[in-house]
Amino acid sequence: MELVISQVSKSYANVVAINNLSFSVSQGEIFALLGPNGAGKSSIIRMITGFTKPDSGKIKLEIDGQVYDAIPSHQLGYLPEDRGLYPEKTLLKNILYFAQLNGMQKESALTEADKWLESFDLLERKNDQLKSLSKGNQQKVQLITAVIHNPSWVILDEPFSGLDPVNQEKVVDFLSELTAKGMTVILSAHQMAMVEKLAKRILLMNKGEAVFYGNLTDFQKQEEGQTKVRVTFAAAINKNTATSILETLDHQWINECKLEIALNADRSLNDLLAELPTLGEVVKVQSEQLDLHQLYLQAITKHGVPADE
Amino acid sequence: MNNNRQSQQNKMRQLRLVTTWEFMQFFKWKQEIISKLIMVGIAAMVLIWQNVKDDSEPSYQIAIMASNSEYALPENIAQFSFVPSTDSLESLTAQLNEDLVYDAVLLQEVDINGQRKISIFSHEKLAWLNTLQQTLSKHYSITFAEKLGLKEHQLTVLTTPATFELKYMDESIRTDDGASSTNAIAMIILLAIGVFTAFGQLFAGVTGEKQQRVTEQLYSCVSAQTWIDGKILGQILHGLKAMTSSAITGLLSYAFFSVVINNQSLSFAFINWSLLPWLFVFALAGLYLCTAFMAAIAAAIDDPNHSAKTSLMLLPLVPMILTFLSMDSPSGWALSFLSYFPLTAFAAMPVRMSLIEVPIWQPLISLGLMLILCFWVRGAAGRLFKMGMIMYGKEPTLKDMLRWTIKSG
Repeated sequence: MELVISQVSKSYANVVAINNLSFSVSQGEIFALLGPNGAGKSSIIRMITGFTKPDSGKIKLEIDGQVYDAIPSHQLGYLPEDRGLYPEKTLLKNILYFAQLNGMQKESALTEADKWLESFDLLERKNDQLKSLSKGNQQKVQLITAVIHNPSWVILDEPFSGLDPVNQEKVVDFLSELTAKGMTVILSAHQMAMVEKLAKRILLMNKGEAVFYGNLTDFQKQEEGQTKVRVTFAAAINKNTATSILETLDHQWINECKLEIALNADRSLNDLLAELPTLGEVVKVQSEQLDLHQLYLQAITKHGVPADE
Repeated sequence: MNNNRQSQQNKMRQLRLVTTWEFMQFFKWKQEIISKLIMVGIAAMVLIWQNVKDDSEPSYQIAIMASNSEYALPENIAQFSFVPSTDSLESLTAQLNEDLVYDAVLLQEVDINGQRKISIFSHEKLAWLNTLQQTLSKHYSITFAEKLGLKEHQLTVLTTPATFELKYMDESIRTDDGASSTNAIAMIILLAIGVFTAFGQLFAGVTGEKQQRVTEQLYSCVSAQTWIDGKILGQILHGLKAMTSSAITGLLSYAFFSVVINNQSLSFAFINWSLLPWLFVFALAGLYLCTAFMAAIAAAIDDPNHSAKTSLMLLPLVPMILTFLSMDSPSGWALSFLSYFPLTAFAAMPVRMSLIEVPIWQPLISLGLMLILCFWVRGAAGRLFKMGMIMYGKEPTLKDMLRWTIKSG
């Protein structure tokens, strides 16, 4: 079971939201859709969920021999970016309504609701009006409504927004639980630290196009030239004698004893470590690999930041 | 085949869930119980009053002072007993204040110009004084007519206004005894109540859901068509409930005024009961059209306080206004046209049926045309609703909306 998006394009009035985008999501993985606001993440999600149709290209998902042009609603758990529930109703009524709409019987929905509410420390408040909860807790209730019916495909658009760090970690655990149950998760988020913990594969989008699509490690490798090494020498170094070693490397002197070098594909860290002692006594080497957040910024900057950023 | 059946069953289940949810959103148990108890209370009061009023009718002693020869002493009439008295006015009125023997004092005089002047003294303003005045007025008319040599029946001819009976060559027009017009106006009022209730609540529900951002969460589990169908059905139930409650309230008020206030016997003979099933089906179709229209427009509104589209909400009133304006000529071309035109038929045909005899094929054709329109409106409103509900922060143009009535975006 694989969700395949082939050469999909979508425009609204004169604005191109998605331009010839292709990628696929395999069953059981956590797949991250990344990109700045206006990159087209929500547009592609709306097409995957079947809310809108592509102008051109195809979306294909085969389940039990039947081919769908979007994830069918009975297989879908969805947390939209523009989200909300019925604030005047209780937590339980909100959850039960969506669970039953998703095909659950009332009795099993009640049992599952209690289970999920307990895991989010909200069981005691199940008969409170939703509006009496904090924004973060309301978001937890919305997460429960998205997955209570045990869907095969879960799409979460910005699941971490509005949550404090403790609750963000809780959601990370929650998502890991979902994949352990065999669910496939498509995740759109701006919190790169969270994405790094969860996703194996990513699609980085900008201006409706793919900037990078593949494994997270491949993305890091692609940007490897920017791995930075900070070297501290025991004494001041003669910058002229260092030129022969450093001339092909992007480097910057921090002070007379401290040097920052950006590695590229021609020079490995091993080679550099072998050459550096010829300049002087090395007392400290710090390798600074860029995290996903920095890689993301770098890649998007290279591709060109969208107009509304 | 099996999958299709399962899918249909699932859709029906979802439709039932959405309908119940929508209905219960605006159904307040406490209010319902209180209003129904009030209705039962009024009905009980009318029934009790009707059964006890004859036995409890009181009698009154009226003192008559120094009767003038111009006046004949009234005989005891109905609940009034007239007792001549030689006491002074002060003495008699004092007795009134003390609430002793007499309930009122009657002073019959003729002034120097020969004008009759009758005064009634009572302790306070009492309801039965009106009846006393009417009784005495009739008595004086008869006695003075006798003095003039008129017989009672001659006096009756003189005092009874001429009656007119309107006869129409068009035999389809019902006899104009006022009842058919009452039925017609009552129908327009009931339809207006039903439409206002349903579309007011639907508007509040749709714009509320859009502002609370429930839309996409719902779209992930139900199709836009099932959602709008459920919303419409829920609000149609509310519309019908409001019409029924208003009709019962109206009838109870009529019963209360007839029996308790006017002391008349209770009769609902003016109601054309045979029209009720027709009113029900036409109201059902009309409520469907109006609520579907309302759902589609409301979905396109981003902020109800600033949207120019809010004025479109008044359009469902037009059929009722046009019907009201053309009901003076029930067999004229205007009401005939309106009763077949699918957008106005739900109001015009029941009104026309209450005013003139209509062969059964006419309402059937009118209903058929409405059902065809309902079928098309269901799809068009579903597409508009789907597209409108996922647009946040901006509103679709009327051009977009017209395009979506034919094809999804």
